[in-house]
Amino acid sequence: MKYRIVSGFETHVELATATKIFCGCSTKFGAMPNTHCCPVCTGQPGSLPVLNKRVVEFAIRAGLATHCTINTTTHLDRKNYCYPDLPKAYQISQFDKPLCENGYVELDSGKKIRLTRIHIEEDAGKLVHERGYTYIDYNRGGVALIEIVSEPDISSPEEAREYVEKLQLIMRYIGVSDCKMQEGSMRCDVNISLTPEGSDKLGTRTEIKNMNSVSFIEKAMAYEARRQAEILDGGGEVEQATLRYDENTGETYVMRTKEDAQDYRYFPEPDLPAIIIPQSKIDETAAHMPELPIDKYRRYTGVLGLSAQTAGLLYKYKAVCDFFEKCLSLGAGAKNTANLITGTIYSSLSTEEEKEEFNAGVSAEDMAKLVRYADEGKINVTLAQMTLSKMLKEGGCVDDYITEQDLAGVSDDELEALCRKAVEENPAAAADFRGGKQKAIGSFYGYIKRASGGKADIKRADAILRKILSE
Amino acid sequence: MAITEKELKTLAKLSRLEFSEEELAGFKSGFEEMIEFCDGINSEIGGDTSSIREVGSMQTEWKDLREDVVEESLPNEKILSNVHGERGYFAVKRVVK
Ligand SMILES: [Zn+2]
Repeated sequence: MKYRIVSGFETHVELATATKIFCGCSTKFGAMPNTHCCPVCTGQPGSLPVLNKRVVEFAIRAGLATHCTINTTTHLDRKNYCYPDLPKAYQISQFDKPLCENGYVELDSGKKIRLTRIHIEEDAGKLVHERGYTYIDYNRGGVALIEIVSEPDISSPEEAREYVEKLQLIMRYIGVSDCKMQEGSMRCDVNISLTPEGSDKLGTRTEIKNMNSVSFIEKAMAYEARRQAEILDGGGEVEQATLRYDENTGETYVMRTKEDAQDYRYFPEPDLPAIIIPQSKIDETAAHMPELPIDKYRRYTGVLGLSAQTAGLLYKYKAVCDFFEKCLSLGAGAKNTANLITGTIYSSLSTEEEKEEFNAGVSAEDMAKLVRYADEGKINVTLAQMTLSKMLKEGGCVDDYITEQDLAGVSDDELEALCRKAVEENPAAAADFRGGKQKAIGSFYGYIKRASGGKADIKRADAILRKILSE
Repeated sequence: MAITEKELKTLAKLSRLEFSEEELAGFKSGFEEMIEFCDGINSEIGGDTSSIREVGSMQTEWKDLREDVVEESLPNEKILSNVHGERGYFAVKRVVK
């Protein structure tokens, strides 16, 4: 039988605040174990949490960027469970009154993945299991998270990828998280069930916990959909369960079934009073919202006149956009800047991470200067590319490479001499052209480019070549 | 409201407490009394809390929230002073197989 995938995501995003959610301990990554800890975040008796203002601000920003309603009164709840990663034996989270509700993330197709809610909560500590012991580091314990819960609107692994990448991009644009999945600052729980094609009846769902890579999410979903389909086709029933995806085998494994489902016994957190958020604060945040990815994309393809492909290559990386826009503010033209970035600079960056970090290897000032030479027709695009490549490899600034002579360009006489040489050295192509093969003229371009060190203007050369060949 | 033996067992398990059958049976009437007390409140107001005013002092104003400024944490030795620590970590009996 044919089935439809019905999938919802719970996405945890670590907020880029300087301190934890309920205490002043630092959130800096990579410190020695248990050195960013205090009585509050290790759950010592008598300590009291105080909510970090920026956590609420960041969560409001995240909510507004995903079209959520922001609740002006909200409170925190205790989620009780006993496990060594939680020193208090409960996590402070939000249950019935989340900060943000009813939003959506729009995919390229125009389809909206609805968001049920976004709430704030604290992260748990990190466990390392070795020999007979479990070692605990509470540095991450108490770091602020938002949990973004979607409706089951995702219907394929591809949509899942796009949803996660869109969410990631939005959070990066608004500066609330770096969303580095490989460092755990963004992780997804994937709910998935199958519904027979043409039916509305929801199947039993399973949940794959703690996914921290987009490509593994895609693979895990495809595997799990196949597994469930096989069970259903064989007349069996899918068992409701929490699963773990093994990256090495590419299969999912049962962590726990419905029988031992947790009972979290949520209740309002008595140590933290309800929070009243002034409407003016929400309005102010909305008014100062940074440009969102979709708006940037539209601006790049619209006012700036970039192609959809080029704009697509730029807007996916916040740091690239910042560099690009800095060049523009220094007077560089959009098209030449964009093409040099996506052509020359990108070819020196091999991984996605490198593009995300974006170390351009050249200053925006130098880049803008180079682009301006090209914009003004003082040098041609080929020379601009060659110069940029050299700068990336060997360092230095534009004027170390571009000489007065380069800026003077190739004179008409020099260019004509070059063209004559090109024709002389390639008599076969000349004969072809004269015999009616228009395309043969292209054979001379490469020679002229090389011989002029990339300076020659090929359009002008083309006209001269035609004149020579018709002589 | 009556409380079942199964519910008592679940509660004990969630609280990580161990009781003998007799001890558990002994809790039955105590729990029922507490639940009856709460039921009394519910029947008094008919389960509708909309007319009950929230306690004003139990609200945080925006200005009372904490600024995001790093404060000094405790030294690692101090954090681990009451527990079994190893190489800076808390060390407990292995929790996964
Ligand atoms: Zn702390």
